[in-house]
Amino acid sequence: MRLRLFDWLRPLALALAAVAVVTVATAPRATAQEGTLRVAVLNDMTNFDPMQFSTVNFFLIKNLYDSLIEYTEDGTPEPSLATSWEIAADNTAVTLTLRDDVTFATGARFTAADVAATWAKANDPTAGKNVYPTMGIVADWVVEGDHRITLRFKNPVPDRQILDLLQFSMPIEAAGIATVETQPAGTGAFRLKERLVGQRIVLEANPDYWREGEPAVATVEFTIFSDDASAAAALESGAVDMTYMGQSRTAVRLGNSGFQVVTGPGKLAQVFRINSTRGPFRNASFRQAFNHLMNREGILRVGYAGLGAVSALPWAPASPAADPSFNDEFAYDLDKARALLAASGLSAAEMADWKLLVNGSDEAAIAISQVVQASLAEVGVAIELDIRQGAEFIDALLGGDFAAVFGGVGNVQKFPSRLSTNSIYRTANNPVLGEPHPHPRYVEAIARVNSTIGSPEEVQAAYDNLNRVLVEEAFGVATNSYETGIIVAAPNVSGFVPDMDNLLVARRLRAN
Amino acid sequence: MTARLRRLSLALAALLADRGAAISLAFLVVVTLLAAGAGWLPMDAMRQDILKALEPPSAAHWFGTDELGRDILARVILGARTSLQTAAGAVAIAAVVGIPMGLVAGYFGGWRDTVLMRFVDVLLALPGILFAMAIIAVLGRSQMAALIAVGITGVPNFARITRAQVLSLRSRDFVTAVEAFGASSGYAMARTILPNAWSPIMVQAIVLASLAILLEAALAFLGIGVPPPTPSWGEMLRTGKNYLHEAPHYAVLPGIALTLTILSFDTLGRAMSRVLEDRHGQAMPAGDRQEEGR
Repeated sequence: MRLRLFDWLRPLALALAAVAVVTVATAPRATAQEGTLRVAVLNDMTNFDPMQFSTVNFFLIKNLYDSLIEYTEDGTPEPSLATSWEIAADNTAVTLTLRDDVTFATGARFTAADVAATWAKANDPTAGKNVYPTMGIVADWVVEGDHRITLRFKNPVPDRQILDLLQFSMPIEAAGIATVETQPAGTGAFRLKERLVGQRIVLEANPDYWREGEPAVATVEFTIFSDDASAAAALESGAVDMTYMGQSRTAVRLGNSGFQVVTGPGKLAQVFRINSTRGPFRNASFRQAFNHLMNREGILRVGYAGLGAVSALPWAPASPAADPSFNDEFAYDLDKARALLAASGLSAAEMADWKLLVNGSDEAAIAISQVVQASLAEVGVAIELDIRQGAEFIDALLGGDFAAVFGGVGNVQKFPSRLSTNSIYRTANNPVLGEPHPHPRYVEAIARVNSTIGSPEEVQAAYDNLNRVLVEEAFGVATNSYETGIIVAAPNVSGFVPDMDNLLVARRLRAN
Repeated sequence: MTARLRRLSLALAALLADRGAAISLAFLVVVTLLAAGAGWLPMDAMRQDILKALEPPSAAHWFGTDELGRDILARVILGARTSLQTAAGAVAIAAVVGIPMGLVAGYFGGWRDTVLMRFVDVLLALPGILFAMAIIAVLGRSQMAALIAVGITGVPNFARITRAQVLSLRSRDFVTAVEAFGASSGYAMARTILPNAWSPIMVQAIVLASLAILLEAALAFLGIGVPPPTPSWGEMLRTGKNYLHEAPHYAVLPGIALTLTILSFDTLGRAMSRVLEDRHGQAMPAGDRQEEGR
């Protein structure tokens, strides 16, 4: 009797096992998503277009979208949506092979047509937004299959510049491009679950995400705090697991209290922007004096609690053009500054005939501006600060309505010519310096960097030339790199993924 | 000693008999002397020493140092000068504009009174801080702009106090007598009525000084006061709050200086009001106390 029972149980067990195997094999990729990661941010986002990203939506973009390729922290390219890239021998084209197992948040399959649609948007002067200037080197593109596409350039383009463009390209679902500002349409690890304007944004895991075992948590809840102190208090009280984009000084304090402080390679460079079309700044010697008037150590300490690095050039340490030797050559030295001021031939009244524009909402800017003001006073140039608030400051900054002002510049960790995406460093249509560009040596140096495809020595020579021109023309005097996108997390948070632009990547983050 | 001087010394004696008023007056005298002599003090309020930033109080820096390594005591003393200058200037502007308005409105009455008092009502309807911010937005950020802004917000108080005094004195015999002798209206207002209306106006000046210091500090705290590096108590509070964790003394000590100064002006003003009430039966109109707090 017992044997008979086993006789009919055995096939049943086998059948169940077979069903289980088939179920596991055909089920969506296994995920270990559980729990919620609570993140404090200081600004509400503006829109979901990955081509319009600014610091206010840094926390969202890399969670809703993936790039074609990524960089490691030291700048080495690695596959992402593109599994491989082949740069033509003459550097006039790059052919991408795309993953074939990727779906958008809507469930639609990711294909080369989506990449083509994304580049078409990027190449549109109106819709391309931040990416449009980068597309200036592109001639066209050819879809060579569902998962293969070739991008062709107008002229030979250096490898690193090509890679930057691929890293900057975050494919948008072709069908969602028209509505991407209000409705995310990416392949990211998360998708939008809820948004309460000015209060919070909740992302939920994309169940079909292509990276194995990611994301690590089921939801990420971003709470928008009105100020840095409140966000820090929320972290200290345990109300959130981490803060993102807080102030350096707060990060240092919290780090000393046992919290994790995570910084990435995507620094900003603090630059004393000089309008060389105005007053005494037309004089090259007068401008060059500012290379030695910058108390960079003091500025880094006062403005950024020492978090960052002094730099006489507008590069982050990860930039291929970074050259620390300039920090010694152009160190803070009031005697050298006095000599250059004397060489300018300007009278004391002429030297003091300007005001330093200051962002009144930025305490760090107010402090470091006073550092420069004090240095100037020591060499006999007494100037006043022109402190403006909010939109009034932004209008003056972007419209070039200033004599000099401190301002952060981005893209300083990538291909050096990307520097010219910042307003003061634009080579054409410069909103501060106007047309024709008053510093043709700088324009030529950027062009040389863009067109040097030769040996590493030739490329380095082009970078060296650019660096020399930057300090000699001195319409932007760099002081230091500093952190943006600082993460301060509770000790139980793990899974930090560095991003070349310091965007928040939450796909591996979890609070254990 | 003339009769006027005798009356003044008697009033001063009565004022100093009030212990609170005496302490307040002494404190204000010390603050004023320090502010006036700030340039001769051994500490330099402007000298930066970034390596010594945010140091706690010590023998070398009694109030510690700020984020740029500047001596906070020196900056509090120099900040007193900013506050007192703003207060004095604001009171002067408010008095110069407000007193003639009150004189004309009270003396002539009729349409002049209606027009001037409705204008005063409009000024009173505007929140002082917002009004001051609007003025600074037009004039730009400077000590003079702050002074003018604070001064204009004080005009209504002077106008109403003066008008009330004129209305009570207008029908008195000595005014009628002067007019009967053919005095002009200007003479009657300036030489006959105004000298007899000074007491409450002086009290108002003291009270407005404390309000002016508070308003100047509020504007600086909001980031639209006197531009740095000129020290101001409000600016020090604004910056110091960013360092409450690392250097609580930075915000607390200027805050104490500000509080004590305002308290002293207020205590002195109240004591003066009491003394004058006792001596002349002239009390501040009840409603004006509420208006001061707007």
